[in-house]
This record gives sequence, C-alpha cells and structure tokens, in this order.
Amino acid sequence: MAATLAARDRRFGQLMAAPGLAALLLVIVFPILFTLYTSAFDFTLINPRHDTFVGLDHYARAFGLAEFGNALRVTLWFVVAVVVLEFAVGFLVALMLNAVERGKAVYYAILLCPLLINPVVVGLIWRMFLHPELGIANYVLGLVGLGPVNWLGDPTNAFWTLVAVDIWHQVSFMIVLLLAGLASLPKEPYEAARMEGAGTLACFWHVTLPLMRPVILVTLLIRLIFAVRTYDLVYIMTRGGPGQATDLVSYFIYRQAFVGLNIGQASALAVLLLLIVLVLTAWLYRHMRSLV
Amino acid sequence: MLVRRAAATILPHAVLVVFSAAILLPLLWVLRVSLTDKLTAYRIPPEWTEPRLDNYIEIFTAYRFADWFTNSLLVALASTLLALPLAVAMAYAFARHDTGGAPLRLGVLASQMLPPIVLVVPLFALFLGAGLLNTYAALVIAHLTFNIPFLAWMLVAFFEGEVKQLEEAARIEGATRFQAFIRVSVPLAAPGIMAAGLLGFILSWNEFLLALILSGRATQTLPVGLSSLETHRGVEIALLAAAALMAILPVFVLLPFLRKYLIKGLSLGALK
Repeated sequence: MAATLAARDRRFGQLMAAPGLAALLLVIVFPILFTLYTSAFDFTLINPRHDTFVGLDHYARAFGLAEFGNALRVTLWFVVAVVVLEFAVGFLVALMLNAVERGKAVYYAILLCPLLINPVVVGLIWRMFLHPELGIANYVLGLVGLGPVNWLGDPTNAFWTLVAVDIWHQVSFMIVLLLAGLASLPKEPYEAARMEGAGTLACFWHVTLPLMRPVILVTLLIRLIFAVRTYDLVYIMTRGGPGQATDLVSYFIYRQAFVGLNIGQASALAVLLLLIVLVLTAWLYRHMRSLV
Repeated sequence: MLVRRAAATILPHAVLVVFSAAILLPLLWVLRVSLTDKLTAYRIPPEWTEPRLDNYIEIFTAYRFADWFTNSLLVALASTLLALPLAVAMAYAFARHDTGGAPLRLGVLASQMLPPIVLVVPLFALFLGAGLLNTYAALVIAHLTFNIPFLAWMLVAFFEGEVKQLEEAARIEGATRFQAFIRVSVPLAAPGIMAAGLLGFILSWNEFLLALILSGRATQTLPVGLSSLETHRGVEIALLAAAALMAILPVFVLLPFLRKYLIKGLSLGALK
C-alpha cells in the first residue's frame, strides 16, 4: 500500500512537471541541439541551409582566430575587474549599512535604483554624460582643473569606462545580497570574540569573514556568470571598440552571426561559451545547495 | 576614546552619503536634462531654465514611443502569463515530490544562466525558416526561455518553505492531489507567485538582445527602440532623457510590491 502511494506521488509529480519540461525542451534544448548540429555545417545567412558538412572545422578555426582569443581575453579581464571591484565596494558599503540605524531605509532605497534600470538606459545616459565636448563629466572635471578625458575613444579608457559604468549599474547587487547575509549572522560569536578582547578588525577577519563565506561565494558566482553574459552595455556604449578593446565574447559572437552572417561559425563559438557557463553553473549549484 | 567613538559613527555615514550621491546625482542630472528645452540641454557650462514637460510629450510624436511601450507591455505580459502556470506546476513537483532530482534542478538553473547570445543564434535561424521573424510570437517564445526557468527556480524555494500540514489535512478529507495543490498550496503561495511573476515581468521588460535580433519595426520593444535613438543623426538628448525616464517608470511603480521578495529574486532563491 505504502509503495503504491509513493508510486502515485511520483506519478503525480511527473504529470505536474511535464508541461513545463516539454516547454523547456522546445524553447531551450531544441535550439541548443540545433546550434550543435549547425556548428558542423557551412550555414550562413546568405545560404541558410545544412548542405555543406564541415565537421569540426568551425571549432578548429575558432581556436586559430586571433579575434576570438582577444574576445576571451577581454572578457576574462572584464569579468575579473567588475567582480573584484564590485565586491570590494559592495562589501564596504554593506558593512557600513549594517552598522547604521538612522537613514538606513533611505540609503537602501537609493542603492536599489540602478539595479532596476534597464541596461540599455544605463548605457545611453552614461554615453550622454561622457560625451567628450557636450558631456557633463568632462565639464565637472574641468572645474577642478582636470581632463578633458576621451572616455570612449581610447582603447584603455574605453575598457575602464565600461567597467566603471558596469560597477555603477551592478554594485548594488553585491550590497543587497551581502547585507542580507550580514543581517542574518548570529550575535553570539561576536560577543564571545569581544569577551576575549578582539578589536573591530580582528572580529571582521576571524568572525565575519568565515561566517559569511557561503553567502560571499554564491554572490560572487552569480555575479560572475552574469558578467560573462554582458552584452547590452557593449552594444550601446562601444560596439566592441575602439579597435577590439571592449569586444566581449557575447558581442564577438553577435558580430560573427549578424554582421558576418556566418551562423555556422557563430554556433561553434556559442557552444564553447555554453560549455564555460555550464561549468560555472554547476559550481554555483553545489554552493547553493550547501547554503540551504 | 571619545574621538574614536565619534569616528566610528561618522565614518559609515560618510561612506554611505558619498556612495548615495554617486548613484543619485547622475539620475537627477537625467531628470534635469529631461526638463530643459532642447538647446539648453546641450549648453556647457549648464544653464538653468524654467522646467518644462515638452520633452515628455514630444517623445510620443518624434519617436514611436507609444508603440515601443505597448510592444514591451504585450510581450512581457504574454511571456510571464504563459510561463507562470507551467512554472508553478513544475516547481511544485520539484518541491513536493523531488521530480527529476538534482539533475533536473541543475538543468533548470543552467537554462536560466544561459547567455542570451547562445540562444538567439539558433532562434534566429529557426524563426527565419519558420517565417516567424518580426512577429510577437517570436518575442514571446524567446522570452519564455528565461521566464520559465527563472519562475520555476524561484517558486521551488517558495513551495519548499511552505508548511505541508494543510495540504495533508485536505488530502485526508478526500481531496485529490491536484485539488490539494489548486485549493491549498497555490493560495498559500499566492504572494510569492505574484512577486515572482512581477520579477519575471521586469526581466522581460528589460530584456534587450533577444528582442534586438528577433523583432522588426512593428514589434520593436522599448529597449530596442531606445537603442535605435543612439544611432539617429543628431540625437536630442533632452528627448532621450525623457524617454529613458519613462522607460524605467513602470519598474519603479512595481518596486513597493517587490521589496520583500527582491533579495530572493536577486540571489536566485539562495538568500531570504
């Protein structure tokens, strides 16, 4: 009897999950299989047919392509820069917020703003501020005797401008999650540490950091994966340039597919990007389960 | 000692005020630009004029702002409302009966984390073949790719946090499994389902890459429409500022309903 009940429960679960899973198979798994298949053909938007089989040529070409190497390198630097800087600023602000009572709600409401703004809008308004002659940024710098800075016209500047705008947009993500982690820490370890005469800094190193480790890991990993996907800001602010200084991998694949019209090659690159993100997601999943 | 204590209370506020200013000043500047006339908007050093609302009216005549807005609303509503029942049922199965176990959960998480560029390449080729490019259907289908996994992943956390006793009581009184789900579990999870739905709506409202590639002139969503302004010759920044603020308005209107669920949404259910 118990066995049949369990079997019926299982059957019910399968029935409930079936429509959603069918939809996911159709809109996600099927397109990915199509990508895998297409990556082995000379499929272009001039001749959108699977008639010329090329095997693994697109993959071999991807690794020989200097531009792809560049895109991976730029993406790696971008991801490292935004994750590290957003974490540093975010953790500092979260610690400060956790230490105040008065005005906390106001600070919190303000910092939520950028998170809710469409990335396209973020890119557009910063382009407006950073215009070399007509932008307010260079005017303000001029008031204190600095600049003018060519924010988006020089390769190194453009890269760091992109990083800075991403920080403005996304640092609050870190703050919100790290603050949630800090707020849920138990009080006792701090009291024990204080009894033993530990100062503020010692408390931070020996109590806060170890207790926050799981939250920090999950926060960093989620942000990391989203940073790898960055596309909108590049499209709006730099179009990958100047040269290829901000040619993040998503933008590079976009160019291959919709400027170069080479869907076959773009599919191979998409498969490689997919593998990277899958590895990162599996890593995230393990840490998320340990948090619950 | 007193000095140190004073420093300890002032320092956090100093950091927070500087940080808040860095967030708020650019937004206030956009607001200011949106309220000036077109020529003043460009003047450096800035000049102050009487605030005016002309730009907010002109975005509807100079650009196809109303169309973009309607298209975004349509696509976001349709994809969220289609995804919601599928995701609710799936999340319930995961939470109560562990359907599919860890592999399936990982699959749903991975679906959600997929870079949009990975999906837009095949979707474009497939829609091209099926003659679906530039249709609303194409956009709605494309937005299901993130809305279904996002909602399902969020809702698993809600159903797992729910008490099972009421459901079991309903079962003992003779309700079928499905009746217990519809009459007990769903109403109990209703606030969470609403919040997840709003978050899904916002994801879709803000989505850019899929809409950029798969929409045509008639189906352009707001982010795509706005991005095209940037390539227009002689873009009017006063108009742009007004359009940008109008585009983010709906999200800010929804914010009060989300505050409680925002952390769960951002951390993909990992934190409360």
